[in-house]
Formats: sequence, C-alpha cells, structure tokens
Amino acid sequence: MLIQFVLVLALVLALAVTWKRAKQSVISWREALGWSVLWVIAGVIIILPQTTTTVANVFGVGRGVDFVLYASVITLFFLVFKIFLTLDRLERRLTDVVRKDALKELPEQKHD
Amino acid sequence: MKVYAVIPAYHEASRIRGTVEGVRPFVDSVVVVDDGSGDGTAPVARETGATVLRHAINRGQGAALRTGTDAALRLGADVIVHVDADGQHDPALIPTLVQPLTEGRADVVFGSRFMGLLPSDMPWSRRVLLRAARSFNSLVMGIPRRVTDPQSGMRAMTREAALLVDFRQDRMAHCSEILRLVTRSPLRWLEVPIRVRYTSESLAKGQRSADAFKIVWQLLIGGR
Repeated sequence: MLIQFVLVLALVLALAVTWKRAKQSVISWREALGWSVLWVIAGVIIILPQTTTTVANVFGVGRGVDFVLYASVITLFFLVFKIFLTLDRLERRLTDVVRKDALKELPEQKHD
Repeated sequence: MKVYAVIPAYHEASRIRGTVEGVRPFVDSVVVVDDGSGDGTAPVARETGATVLRHAINRGQGAALRTGTDAALRLGADVIVHVDADGQHDPALIPTLVQPLTEGRADVVFGSRFMGLLPSDMPWSRRVLLRAARSFNSLVMGIPRRVTDPQSGMRAMTREAALLVDFRQDRMAHCSEILRLVTRSPLRWLEVPIRVRYTSESLAKGQRSADAFKIVWQLLIGGR
C-alpha cells in the first residue's frame, strides 16, 4: 500500500538523519540508539500491523490499533503533565527574577 | 513598632492615590508594588510619597504581595498589613488588625468579611461561592473550618510571622496558601471582622466568580 511505502520512507530518512546528527555529535550515541529503536519499532508496526495485536493481547487489549491508541493517549498525558510542571517552574523563576529586579533599588536597612 | 502597609497594585492609577492616602493615617509607612501596570500606577503612587517598587512585567497579586512584604521586611517593619489597592478595604479597620499583634495576643490576624459586620452589597452569588470555597479549603486543603473567610485579602502579621510564612503562589491562590501555611504552623492566628465595599467598579475589576476554578487549579497543580 502507498501509505506504508510513504511512512517507511519517512522512517528511513529519520534514521539517516539521526545517525548523521550522531556523527556530528549533535546528539550522543545513546540518544541516537534510543531514537533508532523507536524508528525501527514504528517501521515494524507499519509493515506488519498485526504484530501490535500480539502485544495488545499480552496486555489484555483485543485489537492492536486500540492498544496503540491507548498507549499514545497515556504518553501524551504524561508529556502534557511534564510540560505543566516545567512551565510552573519557569513561571516561579521568572517571578524570582522580576522580584529581585524590583527590590534592587531598595536601600538595605538594618532592623534593630 | 513600625507598621507597614503593603499594597499590590495593577492598573490602579485612578484609585491608588485615594487608597494610599486613606491608609497612611493608620500606618507608619506604605509600600506600593506596581505589578507591571501600563497605566502609570507607579508615578501616581510615587507622588503620594509611598515607597514604590515596580515589577517589570505582570506577575500576579500574590507575587506583588510577596515582593512588597520582602521590601517591608528589608525596611525594618515590625508589623506588615496587606491591603488591596482598589479601596475595597476600609482602612479605618487597620488598627483592629494590628492591635492583637502589638498586644502580643497573635502573630497573624486575618480580616474576615463574615464576622458580624455585614458586607455592604456583597452579591448573593459571591456569598454562595465563598461558602463553597470554605468547604473546599477544609476538605481538600486542610484549612480548619474555624476560618470564616477563605479568600480575604486584608491581613496583618508580625515581622517574625512574615519571615516564616513562605508563600509562593503568584496569582490569586495566595489567600488560601497563606491560610494553610499559617494554620499549620505554630503561629498564633485569629480573625477579626472587616467591612468590604463592593462597588460596581471593584466588582468589574476584581475577582470574577469563574476565577474560583482558576484558584482551585492553581492550588492543585501549582506545587513547589
């Protein structure tokens, strides 16, 4: 099918870029390996979609497509949560900087 | 005993002068924190002779209050009073808040809108909402039900209490946060009745009822 061909091509490209970046030391070998595993898994799922059903059955989910959907929703939730926490931390740091700046002009006075 | 009023102000150029002048007779010094207003709140506040600090960008009422409190501590305050900039709080009640502190009966005094003095013109929807907030505070936040006003912005504390109460909520959730920190600490606290003036102006500018959801969100998600 055309969709499989296009997606696999995109993955091969992603794989090539990943290792090119690793050679340029933009990302570490470890990171490159991690990404490669992800691309390969994606490739297997695209070429042999029925493999997801096998994995899904292990987790007690009937269809492979459903399993992929559940997994993505969980992953996305996790990522959004992490972004929330990062944002919160950034906001606090921003406030600290703004406060420091506001208090800068204040003469330090000893309390007796 | 040096009593400092801390007034966080955001877009209050038209009202800040009245508020500062109303507060001044009851305190030794006034600190105004302009929370990144774009309407010239800071220059107007400077004309009144108050100590004026300015946040370069808007960081929220809680953040401004914290900056003002830090400033008051640096300037040598013995007692710090938090007052809203919009003139909602009756400044004549400041001595009532400060007295228990100077007499050594309490470390923190909260102004409550629900103790005898009837809030003039408080909309009934606000009343219902604040009742719900009280239940939320006691059930989820673990703030004692004895606290009658969950969201009061008028409070006074001693220098020692101000150094101890490390509130970090930048926006509106600081009210509940301060209550939680104080009621869970060994600090002695009490509530005194205050009056609040609800004008159409202060209602339009102040908290919207839907902000309650934002506050809950900030309290639950906005961890440290």
